[in-house]
Amino acid sequence: MALGEKIVININFKELKIESVSKSFPGVQALDNVSMKIASGKVHALMGENGAGKSTLIKILAGAYSKDSGDISFDENKLNIRNPNDSLNYGIKVVYQEISLISEFSVAENIFLDNFPTNNLGIINWNKLYKDTEELFNRIGFDLNPKSKISDLSISQQQMVEIAKAVFKNASLVIMDEPTSSLTPNEIDKLFTVIKNLKQNNIAILYVTHKIDEIFQIADEVTVLRDGQHISNKLISESSEETIIKDMVGRTVNATFERPVDISSAKTVMKVKQISSKNKINNVSFDLHEGEILGFFGLMGAGRTELAKAIFGYDKITEGYVEINNNNYKSFNTSTMVNNGVGYITEDRKGEGIVKDMNLRENMSLPSLKIFEDLFIINKKREKNAADDYIKKFSVKTPSSERLITLLSGGNQQKVLVSRWLIRELKIIILDEPTRGVDIGAKTEVLSLINDLAKEGLSVLLMTSEMNDLLSLSDRILVMADGKISKEFYRGNVNQEEIFKASVS
Amino acid sequence: MKFLQSNESILFFILALLCIFLSFYNPQFYSIQNIHSILRSSSTVMIVAFGMTILLTSGEVDLSVGALMSFVTVIVMDVINISGSIALGLIAVFGFCLLIGLINGLVRTVLNVNSLIATLAMMLILQGSVYVYSMAAIYNTHLIPLFSFIGQGFFLNIPMPVVIMLIILPFFVVLLNFTRYGRYFSAIGSNPDAAKLSGINNNRYKVIGFVITSLLVGVSGVILASLMDTGQQGSAKGFELIVIAAVLLGGTSFMGGRGTIIGTILGILILKIIDNGIILMRIPQEFQLIVPGVILILAVYFDGIRRKNSD
Repeated sequence: MALGEKIVININFKELKIESVSKSFPGVQALDNVSMKIASGKVHALMGENGAGKSTLIKILAGAYSKDSGDISFDENKLNIRNPNDSLNYGIKVVYQEISLISEFSVAENIFLDNFPTNNLGIINWNKLYKDTEELFNRIGFDLNPKSKISDLSISQQQMVEIAKAVFKNASLVIMDEPTSSLTPNEIDKLFTVIKNLKQNNIAILYVTHKIDEIFQIADEVTVLRDGQHISNKLISESSEETIIKDMVGRTVNATFERPVDISSAKTVMKVKQISSKNKINNVSFDLHEGEILGFFGLMGAGRTELAKAIFGYDKITEGYVEINNNNYKSFNTSTMVNNGVGYITEDRKGEGIVKDMNLRENMSLPSLKIFEDLFIINKKREKNAADDYIKKFSVKTPSSERLITLLSGGNQQKVLVSRWLIRELKIIILDEPTRGVDIGAKTEVLSLINDLAKEGLSVLLMTSEMNDLLSLSDRILVMADGKISKEFYRGNVNQEEIFKASVS
Repeated sequence: MKFLQSNESILFFILALLCIFLSFYNPQFYSIQNIHSILRSSSTVMIVAFGMTILLTSGEVDLSVGALMSFVTVIVMDVINISGSIALGLIAVFGFCLLIGLINGLVRTVLNVNSLIATLAMMLILQGSVYVYSMAAIYNTHLIPLFSFIGQGFFLNIPMPVVIMLIILPFFVVLLNFTRYGRYFSAIGSNPDAAKLSGINNNRYKVIGFVITSLLVGVSGVILASLMDTGQQGSAKGFELIVIAAVLLGGTSFMGGRGTIIGTILGILILKIIDNGIILMRIPQEFQLIVPGVILILAVYFDGIRRKNSD
């Protein structure tokens, strides 16, 4: 925005209209012609599975992404959101899951952080600061001492401060992203009281959540997205838990693979007994059989990645043990697991997968350098041959094995990371979201590769939030919620809705 | 063109320019005494820098090397004076260095203290405790000729410190370039999570890096004691900064992930020849500190640029 130019906001609007908004990323149509209306003074719930397009829509409203097409308007006035600043000027405020307050500052200081009331000399007028905060709290019905330090508050109180911070200036639309994920039932009630007060101030609320029971307590309307498309929009009074779940899960599985029938009589290759970790995992037990694909389903924050990392020795386990190759391990690290023939492919390719200072060959051989050693020296020729084999096998697009890994595309990097483990003798592979960020065409390719590997006797732990991957591959499904296993399903005896219910319980 | 793009060749080019310039300015530069003196003082730096290259490659740093080296000169002189045995002196030195390296490594990995801070603290501890060990400098009273030979002697007309350095050098070139350990150090420095998820025990290799560096400080410390014929409490003060500056100038990244022994050697030669030039050109000696300081900033700045270009 040019200096001095000021957008005049008409906070008195009837509804915020989102019309035919689309957004695509390379290989993914994140939002496809989505339209919805959010009325002022109403709570509008937005639901959908992971990857349905909720976050993309939030980010477009917040100005973090720009839309490819479509319109956003207050009644008939079109909004021109070019960046986060524009969005804030229109009064669109997002309250994210994570608390981002300065814990050593007071409540009032945090709320007025970017415009403290000052006198002519630029000195903070503390009296006015606390009085203004108190006024704001009265208006929205908070009961909090403006002078309290943030670190002395409970999480729900901190969240209220976040909300207050969002609404203290010209709020038109408040977006709440999974606001109850870290709250106790008692705290949730308090949050709902706050939301009701916001409604009375004619603020529109977009309430984004996974938790179905909540929306029946607080929302007026619900919109369901799936695969980037608008599926349904209903008044809460005309909706039910069943119809919403159906709308969210909806699609039928589009690729199913032939799996050997009775995998559970195969020999056990790994026993996980009552393991817990500081990182969420709470008393998890299961057996893994030879050639079995064991699917772990769970929503964001259910503890899938944490479980994978605990089993692989990345996070220490505090209780229980893992039995593999007739050894009981209570305390182990990643090298223990790798030496026992376990591999791990991360969901965070850039952050935890590739080593960016290394070329393709070096990235591929990293866990297996021992097998390329002649005495103490790496035999580069053998190493290069192995890399070339896998470049050919997976048709990795690269001029040579000596190319820096960062110069490869994401999909080709992923192929290198898969080869990293196939190059060596492997018994078990842990896959964390193997199809995340993979475009639809390549998705089936990845799934059929996993199926082929399992048929050759590799055991697979498949951590996923993609219902489709889960159902088309898994011999058995363990559903996770809150770091625990909440239910077990067998292939051929699975019901999508029941899986979903187990994951939100 | 490719030749010019490689970091080592740029350093080599700068080194050649410096030599040509100095030899025009003062023919003394090429006198055998001057060359010997440059090489001798470079060798003690190089030996420690081999370890520092490994540490920086794995994303760590050791600021305590100077303080440890001073301590080593005191220990080696004292123990040989008392026992009359070089072997016992070396055992005491390497035992002590092993201990300090282990402590540095364990404080970094088990207590999870940033190595910049952990080794800064170790530097202070060593600088203080060396005076607890002995208040006064320790002079050579054993007068064993072999001990003086270590620092002052020649083998085939090559100064002994250079010979010792040349014996150690190939081991580190091979280690960093041709063994899996070299790869591990790079991977740990470049992306510790990816390294860990590839089954590498990051902490073990970090401890090894600190121990190797401390042991190399032991070697250089013994050479320094022999050269000075004394054990002196502050004899290697500021040594760590020259080592780190040279390693970074050589092209090893302060952010970890990339390290080169040959680059390190060229970096040290450049710094030492500039040092020598300052003396030969009768520039005030204070510049012996100022110039490396400026070069250090430039080296890290260029490292940032290289990093950006490779992303």
